[in-house]
Amino acid sequence: MIELIKELSLVHGPSGREDRIRELIISKLPADVTYKVDNLGNLIVHKKGAKTPAHKLMMCAHMDEVGLMITYITDEGMLKFNEIGGIDPAVLVGRRVVLESGVKGVIGLKHIHLTEGDERKKLPKMTEMCIDIGAKSKEEAEKYASLGSFATFDSDFVEFGDGFVKCRALDDRVGCAFMLDLINSDLPVDVDFAFDVQEEVGAIGAYAATFAIRPDVCVVVETTTAGDIDGVEGEKRACVLGEGPVVSYMDRGTVYDHELYSDTMLLAKERGIKAQTKTLIAGGNDSRSVKVTGEGVRVIAVSVPTRYLHSPSCVMKKEDITATYALLKAFIENFD
Amino acid sequence: MLKALTAPCGVSGLEKGAAAVAKDLLAPYVDSVDVDRRGNVVGTINGAGPKILLDAHLDQVGFIVTSLSERGFVKFDRCGGTDERVMSALPVIIMGKEPVYGIISSVPPHLQADGDEGKVKEAKDLAIDTGLSDDELKRLVSQGDRVCFVPQFDELLGTEVCSNSFDDRAGIAILLRTVEILKEKGVKPNLTVVFSAQEEVAGNAVGCAAFKADVDMAIAVDVSFAKTPGCKDEETGKIGEGPMIGISPSLDNGIFEDLKRIASENSIPYQIEVMSRSTGTHADDILVTREGVRTGLVSLPLKFMHTPVEIIDTKDVELCAKLIAKYVEEKVK
Repeated sequence: MIELIKELSLVHGPSGREDRIRELIISKLPADVTYKVDNLGNLIVHKKGAKTPAHKLMMCAHMDEVGLMITYITDEGMLKFNEIGGIDPAVLVGRRVVLESGVKGVIGLKHIHLTEGDERKKLPKMTEMCIDIGAKSKEEAEKYASLGSFATFDSDFVEFGDGFVKCRALDDRVGCAFMLDLINSDLPVDVDFAFDVQEEVGAIGAYAATFAIRPDVCVVVETTTAGDIDGVEGEKRACVLGEGPVVSYMDRGTVYDHELYSDTMLLAKERGIKAQTKTLIAGGNDSRSVKVTGEGVRVIAVSVPTRYLHSPSCVMKKEDITATYALLKAFIENFD
Repeated sequence: MLKALTAPCGVSGLEKGAAAVAKDLLAPYVDSVDVDRRGNVVGTINGAGPKILLDAHLDQVGFIVTSLSERGFVKFDRCGGTDERVMSALPVIIMGKEPVYGIISSVPPHLQADGDEGKVKEAKDLAIDTGLSDDELKRLVSQGDRVCFVPQFDELLGTEVCSNSFDDRAGIAILLRTVEILKEKGVKPNLTVVFSAQEEVAGNAVGCAAFKADVDMAIAVDVSFAKTPGCKDEETGKIGEGPMIGISPSLDNGIFEDLKRIASENSIPYQIEVMSRSTGTHADDILVTREGVRTGLVSLPLKFMHTPVEIIDTKDVELCAKLIAKYVEEKVK
């Protein structure tokens, strides 16, 4: 599982440009499933189980990641950009990125020694930042970057500490990896899996994918922000690494189906799987789109708690990855 | 060579790893080389002419462990003038009993107060997330351990390259290339090459080496500001346009004039860097050694100083080396 997560996470694919990650996922589908790619680029996979349940089950995870879009090239060959999805400017400055063309660049900032006044205490606005690819002129830069092309974080996969992993794009390639693994195993019931697009720019892809599948119930497989950093205690942590999957009752986009939420927490308890819920209302995901599609869908979200989300260094604990997968499997086994 | 030189973690006071690599690279070109009690690598060529000292510093900016917190988190502060704007969610390596990988924390949106937007978090607001159990953390990490950026070397377009420690390992590369050129030409000067410690924390290790070497003149080699967006022309040089020859009230005017003339005579492009006070480099320390040392300064233009993404142009490295080698060659004659 960890190897698969690593392989998927290292693929560059911000919202709207999920082609590379989609091709990789398709290449890993078994022969016994049917799949299609819809108009928006969602990959929808139908997996036959031992029986067809009374209700239709959908599971979704998003293929896209946050990234940058090139908006302007200066006469000096510097690339101006805008964010794709929500990125804290603090995690951009001083970082390496990879352009769509494969060329590496860095997001620099004014020499600290030459800053004036409170300039060094303030981050430059994203509109003031540039990607430097070493081009000496606009003409040279234009060979490797065009307006509307993308750049994404250059960050490798590292295992560290007592069972932690760090990588780019774990949000939500970890969800894609869970679903791929389920698709490649024998399932007790039929499940329709949607590897969807453009979650980071407003949960766009999930509308079309859900409409095509028309499920009764959907499990959104995600990552969610853990605020359990040094000095933060109690409810402000939102969720905690090492305490298992996060099953949400409410976030900024969705009030979840309460019965599904309670049943899933109970299921985790019965199966001896560590699980937690959020201790404050924050974040949002594809659930916001899924639940309102067609005649409506009962939805829950099961997420891996993640530190430093939407940064080049997303951090997860391996035991949470294992427990989240176990809970998803138990959910399917229990589904009718 | 640049890649090998920039790989070791050498935050000020912990230059050992970088010193070992630099010493091995220097050894073939000098009569003797050693590491002195302050941590400087000192190589000597016993040739002809006035005694010349060439210096570049080994150390790099980084962080230092100030205390161990709970749940695998480590409190830290800056060591040297590290750009604190780059810290959030940055991978680092703690040079503990063994190297410990960690991520400097970032503050998630729900924990940022209104009005915090765009405010740079200080080291005291953040902590290094090692993911270690408290016992394991105590075993491996101690107060005072140095913390460095994770080494990474990337080639950009043309001859520009990016690394986490070109300040001043690129200066060391320049001096290694300088002694290589001298050897190729069969020039044997009366030369002391110092790869010095603790420049970034004003530890003045170089002063001790210069005192011992007792030289007639010196050239310090460091990096300086290349123009990047938002910088003024008058405060910066240009990357790829050759060495920046420094002049300040205390730098030696004769060496300044010689360097300019030699560059012109040999078609080496150069830029002039004017500093109206001190230079902020080891030149300031060397020139007050003993009864005073006539000192010049040659700087390599560098983008994004004191960040993990420092950029230089390898063409400039070669041009700096060529200029300094010519200068030394002329003094021998």
